[in-house]
Amino acid sequence: MAYLEMKNITKIYPAREIVANLKVDFSVERNEIHAIVGENGAGKTTLMKVLYGLEQPDEGEIFFNGRKAEIKNPMDANRLGIGMVHQHFKLIPEFSIAENVVLGIEPLKNWFFFDGEKSCLKVKEVAENYGFHIDPRKRIIELTVGQMQLVEIVKMLYRQVELLILDEPTSVLTEQQVQKLFDTLRNLKKMGKTIVIITHKLNEVKAISDRVTVMRKGEVVTVRNTSEVDQRELSKLMVGKYLFFDYRKEKLACGRVILEVKNVTLRQFGQERLLLDNVSFKVHSCEIVGVAGVAGNGLGELEDVLGGLRSVTDGKILHNGEDITNLDALELRKRGLAYVPANRLRRGSCLTSSVKENMIISHHHNFLNRGIFDNKKVQTFARGLKEHYSIDGDTSAPLWSLSGGNIQKVILARELASKSDFIIFSEPTWGLDVASSQFIYQKILEIRRQGRAVLLISSNLDEILSLADTIIVMYRGRIVARLPNRDISKELIGEYMLGLRDDFKEERIKESGD
Amino acid sequence: MIRLKKTSEIIINSAGLIITLTVAFLIVVILILLLSSEPVKSIYYFFAGPFINKYYFGNMLNVSIPLIFTGLGIAVAFTSANFNLGGEGQTYAGALITTVVCLWLPQANGYVGGILAIIAAIIGGAFLAGLSGYFKMKWGTSELISSFLISSAVIFIVNYFITGPLDDPSNNLLTTYAISDQYFLMKIFPPSRLDISIVLAVITAILMVFFLFRTHWGYEMRMCGLNREFSRYGGLNVSAYMIFPMLLSGALHGLAGGISILGTYYMCLKDVTAGMGWNGIAVALIAKNNPLAVIPAAVFFAYIDAGAKAAMLHSDVTFEIAAIVQSVIFYLITAQALYTFLKYRKRTA
Repeated sequence: MAYLEMKNITKIYPAREIVANLKVDFSVERNEIHAIVGENGAGKTTLMKVLYGLEQPDEGEIFFNGRKAEIKNPMDANRLGIGMVHQHFKLIPEFSIAENVVLGIEPLKNWFFFDGEKSCLKVKEVAENYGFHIDPRKRIIELTVGQMQLVEIVKMLYRQVELLILDEPTSVLTEQQVQKLFDTLRNLKKMGKTIVIITHKLNEVKAISDRVTVMRKGEVVTVRNTSEVDQRELSKLMVGKYLFFDYRKEKLACGRVILEVKNVTLRQFGQERLLLDNVSFKVHSCEIVGVAGVAGNGLGELEDVLGGLRSVTDGKILHNGEDITNLDALELRKRGLAYVPANRLRRGSCLTSSVKENMIISHHHNFLNRGIFDNKKVQTFARGLKEHYSIDGDTSAPLWSLSGGNIQKVILARELASKSDFIIFSEPTWGLDVASSQFIYQKILEIRRQGRAVLLISSNLDEILSLADTIIVMYRGRIVARLPNRDISKELIGEYMLGLRDDFKEERIKESGD
Repeated sequence: MIRLKKTSEIIINSAGLIITLTVAFLIVVILILLLSSEPVKSIYYFFAGPFINKYYFGNMLNVSIPLIFTGLGIAVAFTSANFNLGGEGQTYAGALITTVVCLWLPQANGYVGGILAIIAAIIGGAFLAGLSGYFKMKWGTSELISSFLISSAVIFIVNYFITGPLDDPSNNLLTTYAISDQYFLMKIFPPSRLDISIVLAVITAILMVFFLFRTHWGYEMRMCGLNREFSRYGGLNVSAYMIFPMLLSGALHGLAGGISILGTYYMCLKDVTAGMGWNGIAVALIAKNNPLAVIPAAVFFAYIDAGAKAAMLHSDVTFEIAAIVQSVIFYLITAQALYTFLKYRKRTA
């Protein structure tokens, strides 16, 4: 029997109607580095959360070290020797390294008082055992991102973890930091630890892992020895067959430029890595520009910037020739911005207020009669949208009583009610069933037919290939490809997305005449 | 846009409150049985006291008036996810400002002076709470902490004026000079102290419902309270709704203080409004931030208070026992309301 066996794991999130894991079998041998790869929403993180006790599976069993393991919470996992380093670090910035590491199992003086000296010594000892040189007295805020990650790893080693799970550990690191992390992991392997690493970067899989499990849509596609499989094949396994939706997409001539993004750069305060690196593109009327990429490569940041929720560090955004750089959402809405966000439950809607209250935000001023809401007008409007978009649910009911697909329809209905000539869709069909997705695709094409410009940000390649006129691929915050959507294979886009090809040279747009 | 809840929903929602009330009253009975030598009489006055004559009944309603205002003040801030913990200071400042304006205005001006004094109190309260909102917008300071700190300082400043420059040396109490009787609010239920301002309190609550559920400011405020990111995305002026609800909340607290002077006390005694701010929070919690429910919640608080006073006068219940009994009820009810509130916030977060 393998070191770790997860058998028949099924996890369903009923609230969002998502099957995250379906009868997943997963096993890890002792002392190997095992990679799990897959697109967003493939179920990698859920599977690891189940293993670490952060989620309870609806079905399935876990065997660890030959025995059946009951993991109800992370403490149970730690006790068994399983540790996890999350994508977003869980450290207290004002505390020292030592204080962060010992938190929860602090050494005590006289059975009661926190022993700071002893913590420092013990943490230093553990770190040096594994060949890390850190000053346990340093505070977290003084560290670089790579060092913070090291602290997370030391935190787990301090808890005498034998199996270490790393959830997308490289997403926040620079190239050099990635190399350092890999050296660390190889070293840990030498010292007898077992490592599971979640990633969607295939070059990293090749570089570090012994075996790789590929997941797609909540299921395991295959398990291979890394040495026997090349990146191209992995990429094919990850994205699957291209499902072309047969839409009657008529040929439309591109019109004038509606939106222009010029050399936009975004840097997060205190981080070396650029979140958006010199991004430039144009969206014309009657055009759908599809932006493809894997999560963490700048798609979300591009969405935030264009939606007026985040200011750029450098560069310009023009709408119909007028400068709209760094206008906030309030001002953009006044200009008629329409935007269907990726995070539809938190940003796109308010679950605790009624369906009609959700339908009127951003244009609620149209329903006022001397400062007071004209309830009849609101009601008529809401009923109209409900019928036109065949939304299933009462307009006075709270939004959370609707299904995921219907919530997205409410958001879509509201945004399309605006007369904007430019609309952003971000992950418009993520987690939705086929029927709802089809409906949304029809709507997007309808908008294009009306001569409006559409920016479709999506990690779903089928969606991009079926709908977009122009495809932009982003990798590590940069545009790595800009192609007209003519006879492009899914594999090619996949290779750009995963950073396997880097043959696209973006010229910096010269500031001309202003 | 207001949705009427189904009766069954209301019953389920109130089940917890009813159980808590029952437990609280049982504890009261047990405490009195233990501590009083004439328990039957004590319990009778505790529970029925406020209803045995017009005087007690009217006074009970009178006590509820400032609680309605402060309860509304807290509810309106809560609705937009702002927390005003400075109610004590804002109310106290309102009381002092009203007194000062009444003392300072030239004689014989009738209603005008009273109205001016109340408006001044409203502005004063709004300013104090608005400061916290401004700090939050400007520097991200937690309004919960800053409103509490500002209020604590204000209480000492008001105390200084009452015991210092405005102190009436001819009076044995620590108090300012009394205001002229032309400013007194009309009594409507003699011989009790109940005055006309209860009508204003009820109207304010009704206006508040209208404001929150029918006007666009109310809508935007509620949306900001329910989901700030959604509001920002939807193009609402999120930072304005950090200040505006605080201004409104402070205004209602100032009003509570001003009304207490013109209606009940006629002079600014030391600690005249003590407790009004804190109890307003409890009232709003019990009312689940529903402005109309604030009225019965405030009356309930006044009822407990009146019962304790009646029991003290008519039986061997001492002030200390009455205070213990009162606090047991307050703690249980507030804890229950707070629990539901936190559970609700967790679900929406």
